[in-house]
Amino acid sequence: MTGVRVAVTGLGVRSAFGAGIGPLLAAAAHGRPGFGPVDRFDVTHRQARRAALAPGSPVLGEALTAVLAEAADQAGVPDGPLLLARHGDPVTAAGCAPVQERWGSGRVYTGACVAAGTAVADAAALITAGQQDRVLVAAGYLVEPDTFAVFDAGRALARDGEARPFSAGRSGLLLGDGVVAVVLESEAVALRRGAEVLAVLAGWGRAGDGYHVCRPAPDGSGLARAIRAALGRADLTPDQIGYVNANATGSPLADQAEVRALHTVFGPNPPPVSSSKSVHGHALEASALLELAVTVESLRTGLLPVNAGWLGPDPDCALDLVLTGPYRAGPRYALSLNSAFGGANTALLVAAA
Amino acid sequence: MNGSDGANGDERANSPGKVNAHADVNGLRLLAQGRWPEPGDTELPRLPGFTDSPFNPLVVTAAERCLHAWGRELPGRTGLLLTSHSGDLGTARAINEAAGSGRRVPPLLFFQSNPNAVLGHLAARWNLTGPVVATSPPAAVPGEVPPDAFELASLLLADDDADQLLVIAAEQADPADPGRAVAVLVGTTA
Repeated sequence: MTGVRVAVTGLGVRSAFGAGIGPLLAAAAHGRPGFGPVDRFDVTHRQARRAALAPGSPVLGEALTAVLAEAADQAGVPDGPLLLARHGDPVTAAGCAPVQERWGSGRVYTGACVAAGTAVADAAALITAGQQDRVLVAAGYLVEPDTFAVFDAGRALARDGEARPFSAGRSGLLLGDGVVAVVLESEAVALRRGAEVLAVLAGWGRAGDGYHVCRPAPDGSGLARAIRAALGRADLTPDQIGYVNANATGSPLADQAEVRALHTVFGPNPPPVSSSKSVHGHALEASALLELAVTVESLRTGLLPVNAGWLGPDPDCALDLVLTGPYRAGPRYALSLNSAFGGANTALLVAAA
Repeated sequence: MNGSDGANGDERANSPGKVNAHADVNGLRLLAQGRWPEPGDTELPRLPGFTDSPFNPLVVTAAERCLHAWGRELPGRTGLLLTSHSGDLGTARAINEAAGSGRRVPPLLFFQSNPNAVLGHLAARWNLTGPVVATSPPAAVPGEVPPDAFELASLLLADDDADQLLVIAAEQADPADPGRAVAVLVGTTA
């Protein structure tokens, strides 16, 4: 490490709860899920029919432009460079082209549910290496018919219409809208120009399972290595972590693997855990940035997101889950975890400002 | 394709020297490379578990040629970086057609609906446990590793989440195009 600390100085958010991080954290802190019937497109032929949709008829390019402007305005910076996470299909690429024309035609991350987490880690690496003073990271996913159809066909969507991470009776994930931008910059540079530091990205880690096309390693070994890499960069020990915003989607196998990763790193008593996906849904390529925003705001307010949808204990998911709220804990350090197809894992370690 | 000089590139794009030049600029050591097509190639091998698109067999063929060219055990953590400006056009079209048809969508399309899946296939077969990353560079020439990918490889190695990286650059001109891919195994010069 070079001694350069990475500050979060701007946030822009769109979710099922509308504009801004405030309404989203309020829903998460009270455990009020944003799921409802999908009316954005025809789901007649699908087995699952619910998702967490933003109000109105959002357009991805416009929403990305809006959150980037809000994040840059909050941070008081004029522009990027920009790292963007989005789905890799040609239609999405065309829809995001105007965003890149305005904010810079930098690299795009397309690596599924760790796309944004990888972009954040790489932005932090650029800043600590002294290659950039600041980087804007943006990510967007709006629930659309093609992905909904293939996730439905793959039986990945919750058959009972609720996301229930770590819970007995969980049956899968639910998709949700998420469009987010974050300004990351050298803390010293931010403080010199009088910017407010919202939080510090103290550590990050990326690791692979080397196990399967789409299933996680059952022992959570890749995720455990990503967490340990993040702890190492932050020079922290596991007992200093006060909250974990888990990847948990409500998938029977993946949630169990994540529990094993947490037990590997933290021992039998991990810190309080919840998955904010239980409230805002799974935003795929944008999920890591949406969950980072929730985690940053959680550290700012001291309110931990509730693990909504929980029906009862699963003996394979023995964790100290945040089950009722508002739960004020005021942790100093928190982890935001993400895993994806291909055995990809990222861990982002956030420190309160 | 933005920045390309034609759907199939040209002979210069296939020269090992060009790969080396980019790698050297970024402080990377080129350990091995593989590509598809090579002289005499006519048809991509089938890839069990993947359907409807030549993209995934293209990625695996180039990557495994590179790993076979290296021919030794890989020490430590090897990461995977798949970079494609075009993306998997065949899978995107198959999903779009199936979703719009009202018919049952083939479940295999779920597994390959993002580029990480084929990287998971490679990681499992070759026990690669470094970061798994997929990007779309600002521009790409089929058959070449784009400078953006070398920059990212250099960053990932310097950031010490991997000891070496298998970088695969794959491009399709249209959904049925078998495309062109090059894979390079890189480490640091230190």
